[in-house]
Amino acid sequence: MIEATPVSVVMRALADPTRRAVFERVAGAEEITVAELTRGSGVTQGAISQHLKSLKQAGLVIERPEGRKVYYRAQPDGLEPLADWMKHYSIFWRDNFDKLRAVLKDIDPEDTSS
Amino acid sequence: MNNLAAQSAHLADTTSIVIDEVFPHRAEVLWRAITNGDLMGRWMMKPNGFAPEVGNRFTFQTTPAGAWDGTIRCEVLEVAPLERFAFAWRGGDEANVGYGSKLDTVVTFTLKRVQTGTRLRMEHSGFVLPKNDTAYTNMGKGWVKCVETLSTVAGEQA
Repeated sequence: MIEATPVSVVMRALADPTRRAVFERVAGAEEITVAELTRGSGVTQGAISQHLKSLKQAGLVIERPEGRKVYYRAQPDGLEPLADWMKHYSIFWRDNFDKLRAVLKDIDPEDTSS
Repeated sequence: MNNLAAQSAHLADTTSIVIDEVFPHRAEVLWRAITNGDLMGRWMMKPNGFAPEVGNRFTFQTTPAGAWDGTIRCEVLEVAPLERFAFAWRGGDEANVGYGSKLDTVVTFTLKRVQTGTRLRMEHSGFVLPKNDTAYTNMGKGWVKCVETLSTVAGEQA
């Protein structure tokens, strides 16, 4: 059982455009190595490793060592904290719009549709 | 700007919750419902210290979570009568997950007269998310659930 990551940690990890791009490349591949991620990236392998470390701490990627290589893949539930958080607000507004409809009916019974 | 960052630069940094509906009432009535403190309290939450003036600071009191006392700190950003009303919505705490997590967002209401009444668009923006379909499709059920719940997700460049 993995400890749930605070949503702010997930956000901070994804706030950096380079790190977000690294995450997106990992998420878009089945599995990928640091060397593959570095190729054509325009940043050093050391920088990529640092980004992967942050992403790992945020619960967004997991690593699988095999021999001398380390393979990275996206953590399936990594975005769960964001999903829960957004869901809370989307339900909140949806409910409010329903209440607003009722309030408007109350203060303006002679609405334009009748 | 390195290549990776360039690849990611066109991706939106923030995602919004958007609800867009037509109400069978005149814009004047709708405007009053969204910019009058008493009426706001009847459909949203009761604001404390609210005045519909740019720069006004007010709060909403919600359920506390962890180290957060449940106070949402708001500031009126824009008041264009019968057209637009926007305010900052800040609250939460770093340590919370999901509900009560730290956020620095903006709520914007846009009104538009239409034949059947008034169209009201609510955008709650500033939710920082990665924005890439491959990331979402590979992220499993959590994300799918989220997208299903959101009526419209409009990612826009912050």
